[in-house]
Amino acid sequence: MTTTVATPPEAVTPAAPPGGARTRAILALALFEARELLQQVIVLVFFVVYTAAMLWQTFSGHPGWHELTGQEGMADFPALQDADRATQTSSVLLGLAVFICANRAVLRSRRHDTDRHFGTLVMDPWRRTLAHALSVVPFALFTGLLVVVRFVWTALRPGAVGHGSVFELAVAPLTVLLCGAVGVLLARLVASGFAAPLLTAAAYVAALDFMVFTDARWSRWLSPVVSEAGSDPIPSDLVGRPAAWHALYLTGLIVLVLCAALLRSGGRTTAIKGATVLALAATAAGIAGQSAGPSAALQAARAKVSEHPESVETCAVRGTTTYCALPEWTGRAADWAKAVDRVRSLAPAAVAARPLTVRQRVEARHGLDSDPSYDPLTTPGAVTVGTRWGGNRVPEFSAGLASVLVAGDEKAGGEVCDGRVVTVMWLALGAAPDPLGDLRHVRLDDSTEGGAYVLTPTSGLMMSAGQTTVVKTLLQRPRTEVAAQIKAHWTELTRPGVSTVRAAELLHVPATGLGGAEGNSCVA
Amino acid sequence: MTVTVSASGLSVRYGGTVALDDVGLRLEEGITALLGPNGAGKTTLLRVLATAVPADRGAFTVLGHDPGTVAGRLAVRRALGYLPQNPGFHPDFTAFAFVDYVAILKELTDRAARHREVRRVLEEVDLGDVRGRRIRRLSGGMRQRVALAAALVGDPRFLVLDEPTAGLDPEQRMRFRDLITRTGEGRTVLLSTHQTEDVAMLCHRVIVMAGGRVRFEGTPAELTARAAGRVWSSTERDPGARAGWRTGAGAFRNVGDAPEGADLLEPTLEDGYLLTLDDTGAQVNAR
Repeated sequence: MTTTVATPPEAVTPAAPPGGARTRAILALALFEARELLQQVIVLVFFVVYTAAMLWQTFSGHPGWHELTGQEGMADFPALQDADRATQTSSVLLGLAVFICANRAVLRSRRHDTDRHFGTLVMDPWRRTLAHALSVVPFALFTGLLVVVRFVWTALRPGAVGHGSVFELAVAPLTVLLCGAVGVLLARLVASGFAAPLLTAAAYVAALDFMVFTDARWSRWLSPVVSEAGSDPIPSDLVGRPAAWHALYLTGLIVLVLCAALLRSGGRTTAIKGATVLALAATAAGIAGQSAGPSAALQAARAKVSEHPESVETCAVRGTTTYCALPEWTGRAADWAKAVDRVRSLAPAAVAARPLTVRQRVEARHGLDSDPSYDPLTTPGAVTVGTRWGGNRVPEFSAGLASVLVAGDEKAGGEVCDGRVVTVMWLALGAAPDPLGDLRHVRLDDSTEGGAYVLTPTSGLMMSAGQTTVVKTLLQRPRTEVAAQIKAHWTELTRPGVSTVRAAELLHVPATGLGGAEGNSCVA
Repeated sequence: MTVTVSASGLSVRYGGTVALDDVGLRLEEGITALLGPNGAGKTTLLRVLATAVPADRGAFTVLGHDPGTVAGRLAVRRALGYLPQNPGFHPDFTAFAFVDYVAILKELTDRAARHREVRRVLEEVDLGDVRGRRIRRLSGGMRQRVALAAALVGDPRFLVLDEPTAGLDPEQRMRFRDLITRTGEGRTVLLSTHQTEDVAMLCHRVIVMAGGRVRFEGTPAELTARAAGRVWSSTERDPGARAGWRTGAGAFRNVGDAPEGADLLEPTLEDGYLLTLDDTGAQVNAR
């Protein structure tokens, strides 16, 4: 018989550690606290919601919660100078959860009366405070990872144009870090679990009032996330957001808040005092830098591209069409050409062979707050195209192009309201993959019944109820059959003053309900 | 025997109240009991020695380190295990996580070694089987053992236990005594208690405090010997006794200056403790 004597495990003692061991202890505590944070219901829920939202937005291409149906197609043609900012807002959700839970984690010892005990342990209170602040870092890193994945995924889309800013991309993780640091500082200032949410609500209301009251650029940029969104992208070098200064401001503020928490916890080392001074300087420099408005040179460049885009554009000729694009959009000419070819293919050969110029235009004079409204061009054969593409913008462009083919120029095309509207709309939509869907989307009321305003890149045109009926009927017929009729009667169909009733007759559409001139949208 | 703790002239005042008054002591390897009534200054002395509060006056060293300096305080804390009176817990932590947390705060940085150590101390206090259970689901006795495990983690050479058996039922107290006996091997333990049975069973030395001062320092036998010839039995309460109570057998057990021809009894440590307190003018509640 054999007897085995088990040797008891040897004890591990906290002997005076080699250099760096104290730092490793802080990191070990930070890791422990990060795991604890992840187990908090609030963090877990917000973490899952944030991750799901980011992944959904990434892979669906949907740019945000508030975007309207019908714009999904535009996600295939993103402007990266807008895509970088789109990663910012939702990080506030995770930041809020981290703020509350980091605050509660710091107060845990007081809440459960373990302070008396932990105060006698090796790790100083300020090192514990530092560990609490560092426990937020994995969440910030994860946020950064999601931001990068989303941005890279967007940038890899074949229709992507422009340039993103690494400083804009840094805002989301920095916001999460800032929220965590503020939660830690607040716990060191006010030893109550209720203080954090109450003070946050009060600070939010006060900040909103302050911003409304001052209505100044510098106060608006004190917020971690500063949303600015125009309807169409502008060239990346004209965006004019002080992203680098803002990132410096946020970084300085995070370190400043952290240093305040460390000092409050008794960490009065030279390094912490030095870091406080540096952080204060960085924060002040960031505020000063981001408060400056757009420079005169930037404003001049914005005006130049808005008023004379041809001065900065590059033109490429494809067949009888010249495509003039802003520098970052030159790759998009191929997409425009597909729409142009579709519309031209339905017109008679002589008309289809007419020279056209697709001119890209942008309204950048007011930066990202611009809401473009372009006057129609009067140059024969010139067609406006904006900086956004995909989705509704394709049939809108096609409608503008068709009106130029029918009327000669954009100004005249925008004034078409008689029976020519039928020809314009069929040319615009007849060869589209989903003609009736595009008809719905190109109309302001998103319907296929009654009269409505039809959107184009410039002034648009009116479509009466009768014209809508005729166009719908034509779109439901075989394309080749309608194309042949259009080509055969082109001269009469595009003659100014032709009635909708006559157009319907020529195209063999029953004129039921189209009494006299009432079918024309020119009649009120 | 090596002196682990050496203190002299320790004084602490809370407002107008003197909590410690010129306390001096020397602790060696083994278990030393700290006896005294409520308000005697026991907890204050333990908190000073555990570096939780500084003394207003006086000095002490632990294993030769002076906690008055930053480096010294760090060295003392590395050698210290402290179980405070009515210790707090993080109820949502498991027993393992709580002790691991304390181990991190003791700056045991190697994760694998630290986890091994946490498992070791939990086994040592017989909680190995419930280490994954949340603390809020543990009994009072188990929680007290978790606190002892937290004090033991890192194998401290100086262990400060503030009334560790308070609130435990007799069976739990017996188990705890066994634990303390085991943990006292090879280290210096200062055990604050109201339980004279604990002292008699566990400790090789005893310190009696009253009014913030040390009134006695010696072995349990020496404290017991203080009552030799001063404990007697009588059928009626002896009005000359400093303390007296009826025993289960019906006779009175008296403590004090025995009258001539009294029926003397074998003294206990509690008799010695009561007489020591009475000699200092402290209130004796056993009348």
